[in-house]
Amino acid sequence: MKAKTVCKALRLIGSLLGKLCLVALIFFVVTFGIYITNAENKLIYYVIRPFLNKHYDSQVRDRKI
Amino acid sequence: MKLTDKLVGAVDKKLRRFDPIWRAENGLGGQRDRYYDKTGVAKWREWRGVRDTLYDYSQWLNNIVSMVQMVGSAPIPCLKGFWEYRWMGSYLGTFMFIDRLFEGYRGTELRIAHMNMHAIVQNLTKKIAFVLSNDQRLGGGPYTDKCIPHDETITQLFLKGFKDLYPVPMQTLPEFIICDIDQHIEPYYIDVAESFGLPADVCSRCAAETGVALDDALPILGKVMLSTNMPCNASEATSMFQRRRIGKPDFPITLAMQHQKPEGLVYSREMLERAIAFVEEHYGVKYDWEELFKYARLMNEQNTIELEKWDYFKTPYSPLSGIAESLYKLFEWQSANGTDPYFNKVDRKVIKIMRKAYEDKYVPFGGRTRHRAFLWGPSAVYYTDFPTWTQNCWGITIVLNMDSTMGYNMIDTSDTDKAMDDLTALTQRACMRHHAVGGWENINAVWDWARAFNCDMVLMNDNIACKGMLGVHAMMEEQARDLGFHFIFIEHDLEDSRTVSRQDMRKCVNNYMSVVLNEKPLDPTIVEFDDSEAY
Repeated sequence: MKAKTVCKALRLIGSLLGKLCLVALIFFVVTFGIYITNAENKLIYYVIRPFLNKHYDSQVRDRKI
Repeated sequence: MKLTDKLVGAVDKKLRRFDPIWRAENGLGGQRDRYYDKTGVAKWREWRGVRDTLYDYSQWLNNIVSMVQMVGSAPIPCLKGFWEYRWMGSYLGTFMFIDRLFEGYRGTELRIAHMNMHAIVQNLTKKIAFVLSNDQRLGGGPYTDKCIPHDETITQLFLKGFKDLYPVPMQTLPEFIICDIDQHIEPYYIDVAESFGLPADVCSRCAAETGVALDDALPILGKVMLSTNMPCNASEATSMFQRRRIGKPDFPITLAMQHQKPEGLVYSREMLERAIAFVEEHYGVKYDWEELFKYARLMNEQNTIELEKWDYFKTPYSPLSGIAESLYKLFEWQSANGTDPYFNKVDRKVIKIMRKAYEDKYVPFGGRTRHRAFLWGPSAVYYTDFPTWTQNCWGITIVLNMDSTMGYNMIDTSDTDKAMDDLTALTQRACMRHHAVGGWENINAVWDWARAFNCDMVLMNDNIACKGMLGVHAMMEEQARDLGFHFIFIEHDLEDSRTVSRQDMRKCVNNYMSVVLNEKPLDPTIVEFDDSEAY
């Protein structure tokens, strides 16, 4: 009975560790993929900044002195 | 362990054809191959070998975590800030900026560089979240009235004697730091200032600060403001524009221009004392010397370690040099200034690594250094990642920049009278104040610095709009010849990259190295290239 419980607990820990490793691996593959392909900078340079610049250029600012 | 080394060695050997340094050494290309033309956008990140690439990746993640924490701690103010302020958009270029700065860095140099850079990132992100959360333009916050906005060239340290108040350097976020990250941001603000008739031949930093104020892009905090005449006459002008635009009660901390004379200290000290009295009156608080001493001890530790670092800089075994040294010191002095213990933690770690490197006779940059240079350069050397480029292209190590020679005196932490003198001396030796104005001996000191740090070369930035430096060109050339230094004048227009482009600046060095010294570049792909559209 006791051995069965220990076995079950070990299996649970093993499966949890396995899942954790899988999540860590997926996290590493995705983030390293972004890092090495410089994807975030390409997104910022070609998409986000042009969008923001368009917004900044359309702002009406009160510049009376 | 040995098995791992073998495995890493095998992978490194297999993939070294992607390493730009190896490619340059073998005539197959170099750093610039990775980039899309003009933009400064890399097609892929630098392959530095397994260990260094993974380390660089881990630090990239580390910086992302700081940014996520910033947005997480103040999501609405951060979103409002991005929407309201053009300069906030420029902070998105930070990752590209860091990549540029540490191009070609490997091993210990890379580790120290990232430690220093992360100190800046974590401090800056916290500052951004705090400022935006309390900015009156964005609705204000719980600490809005407890902030003391002050000119960025005034040391924060002396204001830390106000226990429940928060000194905020006004121009640091919208101007001082961001001009290093994005070369296109300040020309916009310069144009705003000039559209009101401000002459186009004034210092572009001051013009940009004026433009930021006129564009209502300075966050508004606190009950008063503390302006200053530092570092120069153009700064006096921009202080006046800012005080008029902001409209809060202002105390101009006008420090002595000839600050090395003993009577200058007496005058400047009185100004700081009057500034303290001004804050006490408007905020109804008392200056607390014990609180000040707490932070002065941190500043003293920073400066003690800095002076030890200088001993290693004088040798060929310092893994800390160039942009990793200069930008860190500039930020540590100007924006942390004893107020952030994280910098002390980093300093302690870095000095340990430097001691070990010296004991091991570690030769940085794979022994590719050909010249040791002292650099006399302001912000134009940061957005151009100039020290990194001189290292990678010509093997010129920037041993020390002028920004690292700011106030390094210790503050007495037992006697308030002595402490006041020390604080004044520290404050007077601020960025640029101690370098381009305040007497000929400040400029002339470049030779003493270069000699003390065993440099054979001096790179001197020539801000074409700096009235303080006009006319010294020929004299410096003559002195360099007499003293036997290789001397290169690098013309620039500080924060206006339209007048003198990055490539024009690089050309000054290229010409000297190829025509006068007849040397060949380490990496031919970065001798001449167009990065005019890069951040």
